[in-house]
Amino acid sequence: MKKKVLSILLTVAMTASLLAGCGSAGSGAANSGAADAGAADSAAADAGSTGDAAASGDVEEITWMFWDDLEATEDLISKGYKEVIDRFNQDYAGKYHVTPVTTNLEEYYTKLNALVASGEAPDVFIVSPGPNLTTYVEPGVAADLTPYLDADWKGSFSSDAVFAQQTYDGKIYAVPLNIAAACVFYNKEMFEEAGAAVPKTWDELIDACEKIKAKGHTPITISAGTAWCLSMLAGYLCDREGVDLKKIDSGEESWNNPKTLDAANKMIELSQYFQPTAAGDTNDVATAGLYNGEAAILIQGSWAIGQINGENPDFEQKCGVFQFPEIPGGNDPNRVIAKSDSLAMSATTKHPEASIALMKYFTDDTAQKYTAEVGGKIPVTNVQYDATKAPAQLADVMDIFSNASSTFGFYNESLFSTEAGSTFDDNMVAIYLGEKTPEQAFDDLDAWYAANKK
Amino acid sequence: MEKLLRDKKAIAVFVLPAFILFTLILFVPICQSVYYSFCDYDALTSPKFVGLKNYQNLIVDDTMKIAVKNSLFFLIYSCVTQLVMGLILAGLLTNIEKGRNVFKNIIYLPCVLSSAALGLLWMFIFSPKLGINQILAKFGMQGPLWLMDIKGYITLPMWVIAFVALWQYVGQSMMLYMAQISGISKSLYEASYIDGCNKVKSFWHITLPLIKPMVGTAMSLNAIGSLKFFDLIFNMTEGGPNHKTEVLATHLYQQGFKYFKYGYASAIGTVLLILCLIMTFVINKLFQSENYEM
Amino acid sequence: MNEKKKGKISIVKILIYAFFVIMSVIYLAPLLWVFSVSFKTNGEIFTDPFALPESLFIDNYVFSWTAGKLGIAMMNSFFVCVITLLLSMFLGSTVSFAIGRMKWKLSGFVMVYFMMGMMIPVHCVLIPLFTRFAKVGLSNNLWGLILPYLTFSLPTTIFIMTGFFKSLPNELVESACIDGCSIYQIFAQICLPLSKTGLFVTGLMTFVANWNELLLAMVFISDDTKKTLPVSLSKFVGPYNTNYSQMFAAIVIAIVPTIIVYCAFSNQIVEGLTAGAVKG
Repeated sequence: MKKKVLSILLTVAMTASLLAGCGSAGSGAANSGAADAGAADSAAADAGSTGDAAASGDVEEITWMFWDDLEATEDLISKGYKEVIDRFNQDYAGKYHVTPVTTNLEEYYTKLNALVASGEAPDVFIVSPGPNLTTYVEPGVAADLTPYLDADWKGSFSSDAVFAQQTYDGKIYAVPLNIAAACVFYNKEMFEEAGAAVPKTWDELIDACEKIKAKGHTPITISAGTAWCLSMLAGYLCDREGVDLKKIDSGEESWNNPKTLDAANKMIELSQYFQPTAAGDTNDVATAGLYNGEAAILIQGSWAIGQINGENPDFEQKCGVFQFPEIPGGNDPNRVIAKSDSLAMSATTKHPEASIALMKYFTDDTAQKYTAEVGGKIPVTNVQYDATKAPAQLADVMDIFSNASSTFGFYNESLFSTEAGSTFDDNMVAIYLGEKTPEQAFDDLDAWYAANKK
Repeated sequence: MEKLLRDKKAIAVFVLPAFILFTLILFVPICQSVYYSFCDYDALTSPKFVGLKNYQNLIVDDTMKIAVKNSLFFLIYSCVTQLVMGLILAGLLTNIEKGRNVFKNIIYLPCVLSSAALGLLWMFIFSPKLGINQILAKFGMQGPLWLMDIKGYITLPMWVIAFVALWQYVGQSMMLYMAQISGISKSLYEASYIDGCNKVKSFWHITLPLIKPMVGTAMSLNAIGSLKFFDLIFNMTEGGPNHKTEVLATHLYQQGFKYFKYGYASAIGTVLLILCLIMTFVINKLFQSENYEM
Repeated sequence: MNEKKKGKISIVKILIYAFFVIMSVIYLAPLLWVFSVSFKTNGEIFTDPFALPESLFIDNYVFSWTAGKLGIAMMNSFFVCVITLLLSMFLGSTVSFAIGRMKWKLSGFVMVYFMMGMMIPVHCVLIPLFTRFAKVGLSNNLWGLILPYLTFSLPTTIFIMTGFFKSLPNELVESACIDGCSIYQIFAQICLPLSKTGLFVTGLMTFVANWNELLLAMVFISDDTKKTLPVSLSKFVGPYNTNYSQMFAAIVIAIVPTIIVYCAFSNQIVEGLTAGAVKG
């Protein structure tokens, strides 16, 4: 009997040591558990390859989490972030050191949540304003940045309005890095050839499409395969019709109302001018349709400028930009969809100074100048940049943006949860595909809200 | 001898490491998962017991209905086509001598390749601007939107994915049947030819009954495999357009790791688990037959 | 009469061969296509995806391998698969030996307990494992992949190896007993070497399954330098744009090693896999 017990114990011990061995061999984070354990680990790996001064114990190690691979990326904004990181590590060598943790966009929030749940939250992380940021603000994952901003930082931003989507109860929880505005890009040559004027109103837009179609060109290139692209158009139409999204999201109004129905019917009306493969085309393919001269109009965020000019440099001069047209009798036509990348700081970071120093590098003049001149996005500070170096379209976008009466977010990022946003996108696609009538789609949205909104 | 084989200590040493690992990584998590399915639980909060709420939501969830429909479609489709195609291929291959190995190896090849990579490959082949539609365009035909069409009870993208799955995995069934067929004694066939059977008849009366147990094995592999199906769909459509190609596994992934509804995703997992157990039981019952002497 | 019959058979044979030639085209054409496209530039791909590449543009490969980190990913996949393979062979065969050759009351129950693993999809344990691994430092850690891979490889290994051990002749074990071997010696020096085929088969199955595994690797690993091959592939599909040519090169890199191994060992693999399945 004794022997039996002994042997069982022996086996348990064997297995336990096997498991324990796994834990410690892998990351070394198992026991120390602190946020910097992971950082120290990756720093050790880094030191081997770059020969940084991480070996001396005095360097404050922080991590920065981002949704694109800094080495493999083609995205100009991501490349700019890499420059910021390199500059920071160089300037602060021996004092601070940041290690980027990157994923792709698809998995970003999964990974971030896993790290937060395991107590290894990155010190600084990128986040989209809206419901995504809210999920980190509410449980206290993101730190209140107001004191740091008030100290000596806030003055460099172009206005307080840039913090609108990052402010909760008067406190700022994230810092915007750049702003992209959704506009209508068009092919000047095609418009000239068809004798179409730049449309200011809905009827003029339909008229322009009709003329371009008569010339045998595809008037509009859009992607319904990537749902948020179509949803952006739906968002603009709803806003121009005067839909009050806040009231709908809070449940005061129902989704199924005359204004949303009007917007949906206008989208159906416009869909006859889409390219025939719109239902299956991804975002890339739709954008390629504009710069390859297959279609005349693309409704897209200003982040597409880099892609357009990069893939077809000749198109830069042919590419015009206009504000999404007015719907007479509807809402203020000077409202613009804007989206910003923002940085938040972990509330549990052990190195707030280093983290703030890093965040300031993202909003300093060098970084913001890059944002405008190379990245083609709107800077968040009053930095002076060389407009001749910046892409030709940026001036037009800046024009529209500075004349905007107010901005609003993507519809799918302005609802109470990310899933609500996806449900909105899906229903817009369903309307376009003719799978649902507008009434059905908005009824379904109401039903979804009833079932899921707490 | 007897004593040696009944050595309890040795048995413990042999069995316990794997047993403990299995319990920790599989059995305990399954119990946890079933418990979570009765909880309100997301990434940044801790589980809170709410009873049947997740299951009530499952019943009214439209995407769940599509996922269940597609998973069952997939289950039936793969059981039937793998059986028929597998038998045809195996039957024909055992009848040729030259090149048998070459053909066998070619058809089996995709089984060992990464379905993530093959999914991406087929996604491009069926995308509007590349692949098949370009070939059709050369003949003046306009191909359908293979992976984006939404018409019909079972949508076109589902059939496309099902075709790719058959393409990838039919080799497995074929191999299993071939192995079984080549084990059947030649004298049985010779006897049947003397009795006046032709090849087709002898296939029907001798081969089929003798490989029945293998059909059971292959079919339960197919059934479980098709319920677990994830990689191809994830890389070809990600469940789109508009959730029309969602299956249980992709719906679970999306709810769990895109919207972080751990409790709800666990409820989907429990449904999946129950389906798997039922299918294994049913197939075992159907094919539990006396073993013929070969 | 005889002549006529022969003629008829050969027509059937020709039809059968024609059928298999068509099947081979359906199987090989997609693979050849991706190989040819992977040497093109993005521009060439969109103008005519089916023409042969104008020149061998190997930058795609260089880029995928280095900046796309496929080289690192391949090392990670290799590490994970080899460790899992060795551990599962060892742990699986000890259990199988105890079940297949030794005499104890619970052996039937233990067999059923392990066989349960074959019916249970990995999705069902994804969330509990994910949350627990995050707490003990096993998420974003290759060992966090090895443990579940090992667990899910065990049922098949045990299933096949038990069959092999059972089929070994009794006399061998008996004579070893008479020679005074301990039970561990009987296992390691007599039975295990005789079941080499079984080990080879289970090893292959384990390796192939884990080499291609996507879901767990996608959920558990976030660090780019720790990703395995199937996960790294999706990196080329970006949110705002996809780099097609590099994507195709990456697909080729992911499947070519398996194809080479398969060609080298195809007969053993195919025979082995079926031998294993039939044994069970």
